[in-house]
Formats: sequence, structure tokens, C-alpha cells
Amino acid sequence: MDPANLSVQQITAKINKKELLLTELGAILAGRSKYAQKKLNLFISFDPQLFTEQIKKNEQSTQVNRPPLWGVPVAIADNITTVDQKTTCASRLLAAYQPPFEAQAVSLLQENGALLIGKTNLEEFGLGCAGNSSYFKPVKNPWDIKRTAGSGAAAAVASGLATFALASDVRGEIRQAASYCGVIALKPTYGKIPREGLIDSASSLEQTGILARRVSDLAWALQVLAVPGNNNPPAVKRPLYPEILGNIPAKTRIAVPADWDQAPLLEEGIKNNFREQLNKLARVGLEINYVTLPHFQYASLVATIIGAVEAFSNLSNLDGVRFGYRKEGKHLQEMYIKTRSAGFSSKLKKFLTLGGLLSTKKYYNSHFLQGQKMRSIIKKELLDCLQENELLLTPTTPCNAILLDSSPPAGEELPDPAAYYTAAANLAGFPSLNFPVSTNGLPYGLQFMAKKEDEGVLLQIAFLLEKEPIKWPIFALELQEV
Amino acid sequence: MTAFEAVIGLEVHVELLTQTKLFCSCSTDFGAAPNTQVCPICLGLPGGNTPRLNKKAVAYAIKTALALNCQVAQEITFDRKNYFYADLPNGYQITQHFHPMGKKGFLPVNVAEKTKNIGIHQVHLEEDAGKMFHVGDILSSPFSRVDFNRASVPLVEIVTEPDLRTAEEARLFLQKLRNTLLYIGISDCKMEEGSLRCDANISLRPLGSKELGVKTELKNMNSFRAVYRGIEYEIERQTGILQEGGTVIPETRHWDEEIGATKSMREKLSESYRYFPDPVLLPLKTDTKWLEEILYSIPELPDSRYKRFTEDYGLPPYDAEVLTSSRDLADYYEQALQTYPEHKNLSNWIMSELMGLLNANNMEITACKVEPPELGDLLKLIDQGTISGKIAKTVFEEMFTTGEKPEKIIREKGLTQISDEETLLKIVDTVVTAHPGSVEDYHNGKNKALGFLVGQVMKETKGQANPRLVNKLLQKKLSN
Repeated sequence: MDPANLSVQQITAKINKKELLLTELGAILAGRSKYAQKKLNLFISFDPQLFTEQIKKNEQSTQVNRPPLWGVPVAIADNITTVDQKTTCASRLLAAYQPPFEAQAVSLLQENGALLIGKTNLEEFGLGCAGNSSYFKPVKNPWDIKRTAGSGAAAAVASGLATFALASDVRGEIRQAASYCGVIALKPTYGKIPREGLIDSASSLEQTGILARRVSDLAWALQVLAVPGNNNPPAVKRPLYPEILGNIPAKTRIAVPADWDQAPLLEEGIKNNFREQLNKLARVGLEINYVTLPHFQYASLVATIIGAVEAFSNLSNLDGVRFGYRKEGKHLQEMYIKTRSAGFSSKLKKFLTLGGLLSTKKYYNSHFLQGQKMRSIIKKELLDCLQENELLLTPTTPCNAILLDSSPPAGEELPDPAAYYTAAANLAGFPSLNFPVSTNGLPYGLQFMAKKEDEGVLLQIAFLLEKEPIKWPIFALELQEV
Repeated sequence: MTAFEAVIGLEVHVELLTQTKLFCSCSTDFGAAPNTQVCPICLGLPGGNTPRLNKKAVAYAIKTALALNCQVAQEITFDRKNYFYADLPNGYQITQHFHPMGKKGFLPVNVAEKTKNIGIHQVHLEEDAGKMFHVGDILSSPFSRVDFNRASVPLVEIVTEPDLRTAEEARLFLQKLRNTLLYIGISDCKMEEGSLRCDANISLRPLGSKELGVKTELKNMNSFRAVYRGIEYEIERQTGILQEGGTVIPETRHWDEEIGATKSMREKLSESYRYFPDPVLLPLKTDTKWLEEILYSIPELPDSRYKRFTEDYGLPPYDAEVLTSSRDLADYYEQALQTYPEHKNLSNWIMSELMGLLNANNMEITACKVEPPELGDLLKLIDQGTISGKIAKTVFEEMFTTGEKPEKIIREKGLTQISDEETLLKIVDTVVTAHPGSVEDYHNGKNKALGFLVGQVMKETKGQANPRLVNKLLQKKLSN
């Protein structure tokens, strides 16, 4: 078996039985990463020496009770801070930024024995998946290099370079990227994975999530990362995720919005395949209920309004004064304008301009406040629906991964049509999972949503669907020859 | 010529006496080396966006709102005021724009022997910005430097209604406000260190008019005197403009203490700050129990104390005003009263002797070595005739310097009053014999001569003779 395709438990077991040497695994991954980087541009920072040092440290450890992620290679999106590697958010403004502190999530992974293989490429400040805003050029899709991967984290997991990856989800980014790359992704309940050290662009929507190829790996990652914290009351009792995967309740009810097929840009192939998937689920005895969610269709628009206002404010610290890229000016005002004009991509500037505009007195009531009201309505609708049903199901994306040099350029629309199905979970703060399926030789995903703190049932449904292992992209097979 | 009336409102910023900043655990100590009391949160570093609200600062702000008779918000929320400036690490200031901590309060101020309630528009909690340094003028300075030690230090801003009419009213209000804040102990209110900062909005309107005129905002007044002078100057300046038929430009003006004038800083554009609720800080409910705790932590405030001092202790208004002007002084007075319940006599001593020495030594009452009960003991010794009032002053000076008990000083220095008639009579005899001229003067009706003779006896006894007794004995002797 390819050592890079071992599960979390297999890696630990094989290391314990001395059937696998970490140095061996490290050498394989380092070689493949180098090759993959050339082909897909999936890393922003990949330092083989740093990786080797971590492996040495693990190898030399005399720890008896090894934590659950011992020797597990993981990738971290480059908007999650690390102390030994820069954190750029794929922005020119932070292209050389070295944070003086480490995200709590990263510390948790390292304390649990994981190996950080590298910092992955993403859209600037993790906004969107179109492959049009990274200062370090777009990530190519391992299924088709002419298409966007959505994020380096998704590409790294799909290619078998990391057992799982951490990335952030503002309006559905990790689920969309997972849909484009054919992997599993979970955006947990808001605040479940500590937010400390995430460079967030839209604080009230954004949440760190996990991408993986196996449900059990995802469950182990969640087990380690979901610690009580600021937004995570210790009173909430959590199940042992890896142990409950097979226990899906006999009568699991799945709601599907009756108008699910009304999404703009919904591709014919996905529409047909999704219908087949619904039939399949019904055949295994799951109850499918068609429901009316009148305001679900506005989720992407509302998340864009709120996200733009929050991002405008959150990213105001990037002014060239204390850190990061600076372009000098004759006076402070000019320095700000020059720095931010040259520092941000045109896509991000468009988004921030919208946020700046909507937070002025003129538009505050008519747009921002209206958006907040709509957010409450959408949340209420979802909550009502999830009282009657365990899960809500839609496609994750209305299309397969979009072409990188499509004309006219795709993915710059506001609101982003790719977030049509995903944004609602961010507005409500509910957990949501992408499970990959495929059509036309390209992956897309089924998106499940559950109510707050109900990650368990999302993992259970994914486990049920996982009877057949997830398909590898051709590129991953190509990599295995490296 | 039209007569004008000034309409003045104040915006007062007060730094809170918390150990740590508003959203992180950095120290708030004043005077540390630049940029040594900072962390990723208060420096606004990417990934540092995880504020943790300082509950003590919230309690202090609520305490302020309650002491200023405000309605207190039921839910504490924070908003971001978005603007770019080099001293603002995040590019936004966290403040309470939509729902301030307190609203619709008032503070009574004594103006020309009448009490006037000055409306408090709102009290809110917010974070301070960093401090900029320039060489000379900001425009000609070769550099701009920023110290972020002050960034995110908790501030309470108190905004008055435009209820003030003169510079004197503004000064009196500010003093009363400072006194009240010192009473409740939320700030040290040092204008020279910037822990109390006051801006004034000033406009003029024809006397009797209800409409408000064009206002200017006056900044950089770093003392009570500067507040008075700045407002006075600005009223005069605006009066001049209006009387010549001109119009006042809405602008921010700087008070220049040295030249004694206000200078234009920048024209006030219709400022559009982008305010919106902070998406990270969750609303905090103010439960009744917590509010009650805060309410009970508020000590008796100056007005109520003043009333008690005049009504219960029978002190004249002047005495009550002086003694309640500081919580520590009033506490001192009332503690001394425990051992010496002669209200007016004690008040006299504190206001003349004690405060005289404090002022001469530039000291605060809190640093005084004389414990209140010991002052009471000293005054009792006078009343009992153990020492004379004059000797008492010497003893008190000794107590003030050394902190020794009065009895000990009197004993060690042998300062006990001589009240023994026989002893005194002998001295009286000597003095009378030695000054026949004065005796004759006395007999010729010159009463002053008696005073001279008393003085001579006191001199002979080094001030230890009981003056009342000496007086009596001398009169008796001379009438023979």
C-alpha cells in the first residue's frame, strides 16, 4: 500500500509496529510535494528542511503514550498563523509577514504529533475559490490543471500530500474547494475549532475547517481540534467522534429544498447526478423530505453584504504602518492609498470597496441592517427545518471547478454564484460537510448541513456514503510514480 | 448691537484605573518605555483579532453612568468606528456607538449660589489610541513615531448636553465631574498626564433664540485654567465675528496655552465614520445582581455629603464645600470627628493648619502622617487646658513632620500648659513690677496694655502659661 495513503490510525499503528519509518514517509512526501508544487502551485511555503526537522524530533521522542496524530502529515492554509513559517494570506501586503505567534489550532495539531508539511496557497485572505486573487498565482486542480482547485489545501489532500488540511471557510470556501477537488470537508459549528490565530477577513462568518480523504481521519482531526475555548463553552458535551461513525440513527431524515435546482449557473450534469444521488439515499432507507426555505436563495447575497463590511474593517490594519508591504507616499494619506492600491488584488479591492460603501451612514440601514435582518430570517428557517430533519442536503457547488482562464473571467461576480448553496451555513453558524461524488469525470459534492454542535450526524452520513473509497485524481496516481 | 449667548457642551475622556487594557492583558501603567506594553491584540497584528473584554472596565463604566444619574444599558454591546490613522492599530476604534453604557443623566453644579443640573447626554466605554510623537510641528517634523502603550487602554467618554452657558460654568462642571469620578475611584483624573481630557463644543446664538449657531470644537486644553481661558477666548472670538456680520466656520480649533489663543486645526467636514457592531465581541447581559454590586460599591457622593455636613454637622457652606471637595479629605474629617466631635473647631483646624501644611509641602491628604484620631486627640488636649492653642500649633507641626502622637511630643518637650495659679501669680507679680509704664497705661484706659502684659507673662513661661488664666490673674492684680 502507498504509504502516503494511510489513515491516521494506520500511520500510528505502523509506526508503533516499526513497519513504517517516518523518515521514509517524509522522503516520499517531500519528493512528491516538490513535483506537485511545480505542477499545481499548491504551496506558498514548503520548506523540506523544516519538515525533516519535525520528523527527526518525532523520531527521537521517547514519549510512551503517543498522541493520536503521531506522524500524520497535515497541510495548513496560509491564513492560519505559524511561528516558524511566514503567513501571507496570499496577499502582497503580507507576502513577507512572519507572525510572532502561532494559531491555537496549529499548536493543538503539533502537540498531538502531527507533521506540518507546508503552508498552502489560497485566494487572497481566503475569499472565494475562483483562482483569481492569490498574489502567488492560482492553484491548479489535480483533476484538470486548466481548472481552479479552489485552494491549495484541497489540492494537497486530493493529491495525497497531506492526510488532512486546515483551511478557513467564509462563505463556503473549504466545501467548494473540496467539491472541486473531490475530497471531504467539514466546516464545524462557529467557534468549535479555536479562532485564535486565524487571520480572518469576515469574523462573524469565518470558521476554520478540516479537509480529508477519509471520514475517520476527519473525525480524529476534529476530536483533537474541538477544544473548549472562548466561543466554545466547556459545558457542551462532545461525543468521541471516531467511535460513533457507524452509529447513524435508523430514522435519519434528510431535508432537501424543493427549489434546489433553481440556482443560477447550475450545470445540467450536476442537476441530473444530484437527482440520482437522492434516489440512492432513498434506496438505503433514508427519509427524504422536500421543504420550503423561501430565503435560502439570498444567503450568498447576504453573506456578501455582511462579509464585505466586516472584511473592510478587519483588513484596515493592513495600512503599511507597522508591518507588511509599504509603498511610501508624500504623506500618510498617500502612503495608505499607494500601499493598499498596490497591495491588494483587484478582486479584493472590489470587495473592500463594497464593504466601505455599505458601512457608510447612507447605506447602513438600507443594506447592512437589512442584511442582518435577513441573516436572522435565514437562520430561523434553517433552525426550523433542522428541528424536523437531522440533515439538510443540497449540491455543494452549482458547477464543477471553473476554468482558470475563462472569458469573460468567472468568479468576480458579487455575490459569488459559487456560494449559492454554501453561504447559509456561515450565516447560521451551523456545521456543514461536503461529500464528494462525481459527474463527467470531474468531482462535485453533496453538501449536508446539521444544527449547531451536530457534527456527529454529519460524520455518520459521510461514513455511510463512504462505503466505496473516494476516487483519486489522475494526478495523484501520477504522483505515486514520483 | 446684538447680545449673544454661548452654548457649550463638553466631551470628557477619562482613562480608567484598571490594571490591564480593555481587550488584552497588557499593563496600563503610565510612563513605561515606548511600545513595551503591547501584544498582538492591542497592536492589531493579523491573526490577533481575539479580544477578551475586561469586565472591570465595564463595571467602572457602569459605575460612572450610575454616579451621573444615567439610565444603564441592559445589554452591553460594542461597535467599531472605522477610520485610518497611524495611531490606530486596527484601523478601527472599538467604542459604544449604537447603545452607550449610560444615557439621559445629569450632574448638579452650584453656579452663583444656585444649583443647575447639567444634562449628561451619554456615557460610553471605548479604547484609547496610541500616542504620536513629532519634532515640533507635525508638518515639518522629519518623522512620525507612535507609542502603542496607550493603545486600547480603557476610556470612559462623558458627553454633556449643550447646557453650559459660560466658561465659568464649564470650569465648575468639570471640577464637579472630576471630584465625582475621584469619589467613585474609577480614574486618577490627572489632566497633566492626560488621564482626563476635555474638548468643548462652542457656538453662539442671539440671546433669547432657541436655534443653535455654528459650533467649533476646541481641543488641547490641558488644565482647568486652560478650559476656562480657551472657552472664554473662543466666545470672544466668535462674538467678534458675528458682531461684524461674519459667519463662524465649523472647524476644530487648538488652544495654544502660550499665546493664549485658539488656532484653526482643520475644517470639520461632515464626518462619515463607518460604524457597525463589532462582529467578534458578543453582547454581554447586565444581570441585576451584578448591577446591584456595582451600585453598592458607589460611596456617598459629594452632594449628599455636603448636605450632611451643613445640615447634620452645622458647618457653614464654605467649610462643607472645601471639606467635601475631595473624598479623602472628607473621609479624614469624619474619621477625626470620631475622637473629637466638635464639628466647627475640627473643620477650622483642618482647613487652616492641616491644609496649610499640605499646601506648603505640596502634599496630598493621603500622604499625611497625622492619623485622623491623633488630630482629634490634640484638639481635645487644647480643650482640656493641657496645652494652649498656640503650643498646639507647634505640636501639630511636629506631628506632621514625624508622625508622632501628640502626648508623646508634649511630654518629651515639656510643653504642658501651666494652669497653677500660685506659679503664675509669681510671674504676674514680676511682670507687673518690671513694667510700671504699662500698668499706668492700663489704668489710663489703654486696654492694649493688658495684651502687652499677657504677652510678657507668656514669654516668661515660653508660651506654656494658660492664657485665659493669665488674663484673669492680671486683671485681678491690676484692679487692686
